[in-house]
Amino acid sequence: MIDKKILEIFGDAIKKSSAGQTELVCESEEFYLTRFAENSIHQNMGRSDSTIWCRAIFDKRIGIARSNDSSAEGVANLIKAASAIAQNQNDDPDFVSLVKSAGDIKSGGFYKKTLQFPASERAAAVADIVSRAKAKELSCAGTFQTAATSLAVANSLGTSRFAENSEYRFTLTVSGENGRSGWAQTAGRDVGKFDYKSESQRAIDKALVPGEPVKLEAGQYTVIIEPDAVANFLLFLAFLGFGGKTLHQHRSFMSGKIGEKITGDNITISEDPFDPAIEYLPFDYEGVSKRKVEIIKNGIAGEGVYNSYYANLAGTQSTGHALPPDNSYGPYPKAMTIDGGQHTVDEMIESTKSGIYITRFWYLNFLNPMKTMVTGYTRDGTFLIEDGKITGPIVDMRVQQSMLEAFGNAEMISSERRLIPQYGAFMLVPFMKINNFNLSVA
Amino acid sequence: MADIEKIAKIAVEKAVSLGAEYADCRYVELENESLSFSNGSPESVNSSLDKGFGVRVIKNGAWGFFGSSLLTENEAVRAAEKAVEIGKASASIVQAPVTLTPVDSHKEDFVSGFKTDPFKIDLKDKLGFLENLDNLMARNEALNTRDSHIDFRKTISFLLTSGGTVVNQKIIHSGVGIELGISKSRRERATRSFPQNGGQYETKGYELLSEIDFSDAIPRLTDEVMALLEAPQCPSLETNLLLEGSVVGLVIHELIGHPLELDRVFGSERNFSGTSFATTDQLDKLQYGSSIINAVSDPTHPYGLGSFGFDDEGVKSSSVDLIKDGILTGYLSSRETANRIDRKSSGAMRGDSWGNIPLVRMTNINLLAGDKSFDELLASAGDGIYMSTISSWSPSDDRSSFEFGCEIAWEIKDGKLGQVYKNPTFSGRSVDFWNSVTAMGNESMWKVWGTPNCGKGQPGQNARTGQGASPILVSNVKVGG
Repeated sequence: MIDKKILEIFGDAIKKSSAGQTELVCESEEFYLTRFAENSIHQNMGRSDSTIWCRAIFDKRIGIARSNDSSAEGVANLIKAASAIAQNQNDDPDFVSLVKSAGDIKSGGFYKKTLQFPASERAAAVADIVSRAKAKELSCAGTFQTAATSLAVANSLGTSRFAENSEYRFTLTVSGENGRSGWAQTAGRDVGKFDYKSESQRAIDKALVPGEPVKLEAGQYTVIIEPDAVANFLLFLAFLGFGGKTLHQHRSFMSGKIGEKITGDNITISEDPFDPAIEYLPFDYEGVSKRKVEIIKNGIAGEGVYNSYYANLAGTQSTGHALPPDNSYGPYPKAMTIDGGQHTVDEMIESTKSGIYITRFWYLNFLNPMKTMVTGYTRDGTFLIEDGKITGPIVDMRVQQSMLEAFGNAEMISSERRLIPQYGAFMLVPFMKINNFNLSVA
Repeated sequence: MADIEKIAKIAVEKAVSLGAEYADCRYVELENESLSFSNGSPESVNSSLDKGFGVRVIKNGAWGFFGSSLLTENEAVRAAEKAVEIGKASASIVQAPVTLTPVDSHKEDFVSGFKTDPFKIDLKDKLGFLENLDNLMARNEALNTRDSHIDFRKTISFLLTSGGTVVNQKIIHSGVGIELGISKSRRERATRSFPQNGGQYETKGYELLSEIDFSDAIPRLTDEVMALLEAPQCPSLETNLLLEGSVVGLVIHELIGHPLELDRVFGSERNFSGTSFATTDQLDKLQYGSSIINAVSDPTHPYGLGSFGFDDEGVKSSSVDLIKDGILTGYLSSRETANRIDRKSSGAMRGDSWGNIPLVRMTNINLLAGDKSFDELLASAGDGIYMSTISSWSPSDDRSSFEFGCEIAWEIKDGKLGQVYKNPTFSGRSVDFWNSVTAMGNESMWKVWGTPNCGKGQPGQNARTGQGASPILVSNVKVGG
């Protein structure tokens, strides 16, 4: 993984650049993933890579180029490539300037043990999980990933920042007979704190819930959804409407509704890179320091997240949520939290006369983005609740539901929250008991 | 430039010297250029170059892999050592040692067909092409969202295996697409895309851009957007459903391609993409579709996005039957998975870059054409619904059921198109769906639709696949809106 010395290469290269403004970004990774299925490790890999981006700006013409050659010569060539693109571009009248971010910034969330965690220890954890599952005649599939990332950003206005992050991620699907299955997922920064035995036991216990899965009719149900399912919805909401670009283009469900109530009073969604459970990188791909953003506060639409470009258009300041220069999504939150409530999961189940317990959703896709309507499936741990108890597994069902309406119908929210990783995001989210949730036969 | 052949040789020899039973080294260089235009202005021009190598080994009967972007001889040694170390760790928890079906070794070069290398065209000409598309869309002032994009990719790869294969490949892809629409209010938008949602991608050069008739399509799409603004929701009913070719392409992708990936059938994707209803005990038995359903995996197709000369294990490309006369007859497979059913590899192992392990992926999954004209399909439908252009897809994890959404639908009444409907969807069970196909469009409407963003694997990989299709008529399908 590339260290802080890359900033020296960047500094020298920027001095030689003929562009009016020049920005260089390097994201470097040392990545390992052990993947298992059918109780065997079937894929096991490591990778060492660095991605470099250059933004070269001539007046209001912007050129962006990317490569994975971090040598001084490679960086110089990249600036040339970005400059050639810029000189052939039209003006972008909305572009104002790159951002000057003063001083270095302290980075949390990096643990050497995670970076150095050996393949043999990942395999040993998998072997233990498989052995406990096999003893119950179950089959395991999953992943155990350890990785470290560094991010360096420098520009011709004087920004020069470097930070490191590490993470582990763990997913597990345990399958039993007759389609019964269970799922567990977790993540963190310090692999030394990862308790794989208890995390994996959750999935094993679900696959052991007795009974033949029963088929239910389509209808509106009271559901208790686990943090994984809550995170599935949260990620889709973020994609649809938490970023400054979707707000600017009026494609967000929050467009024109800032300050208005859009979901339940008990729903508070924040982007909080500094939450101790999340410890995200402290600055974004423009080098701008991140700050906490209250996106929805007690059901009322608050503010979106911004990079410098969309902040200028919105007449506000960047919140430190720029993605890499060549992305097309605009600014995006990657460290989201939903506030916990007062309840325990047991209280949610005990208070439910008739309902469905859902572990996670699968293959969500949009049906009507402005109404936050999605379709998808339940998967890997869907159970019937009768008279305050889980009574057995059910056949997975199709979800056809507005996500904001679902959050608006959240009768109970748990105090317990789990850290759920999905794609590049970490989300710290609770369980929810939701009424009038639309499910149909798959 | 680094001596790639030397680096690969060092890596493979080092792995073998460390006791690997098998080793290969794959160098991949990906050059991408993508340009987009939005509402009269260039939105983005992105260019990227990514290169590196990956060493894959079998050590003590188990897989290990390590990839690096550092192209040096020392790094080749380190990568081989890492791959062997990882393979050793894998071996501590395998139920049976990996064995590979035999394969001929090849020393060949492959270059995909193209007339004009898109990377030799001036940026100004490319932006001019997009500006022209934008001008065509801007002729109707009512359209307030106009987006267009073009994408090009050049892949140069080199594979060296301990079995003696040495393969060089150069493959060029081009893609182009538009989306136009009207935002009626902050809550209501109508959009149409062309040639399909996300654009059309083919194994071709810059010539692809002039082969697609945008000037003919844009006025029609504009009329359709206007009609969608006033259209009612698609009604919920069970009816005859006629699907336009690009829709069929994605249905093939989700309900034939993915379920017939043999690694998935064996459970390799149980934790992520899912499993498959098309289990191996049903091979040569399952009535997958009606008797007019014939599907092949064909990476030899001249322009399909899933075309190549050799897969990433060095298996030479060939056409393989998947479904014959409606019966399941084959799978997409690798050397390892094919060996488990005593068959030859179909040659479908593909990695999306140097830094990822090849997986069993789709190539071009082609549903062979039928014999009906579009008017004959409409006449056969009698009364029903016609849907065009996928907008949403959601298959179950074992691919046994599905729901798809489309951009637009028309009522079919007495064999003629009538009322436009918005937000149409169709859903059902996969095997029931394919067994209900009663007629298929002829060769004149058949083409290979490109999908440039097929996700699979952990870490996630993004494959480029093709699906050959013409319109199909399906009876008794549940539709809604």
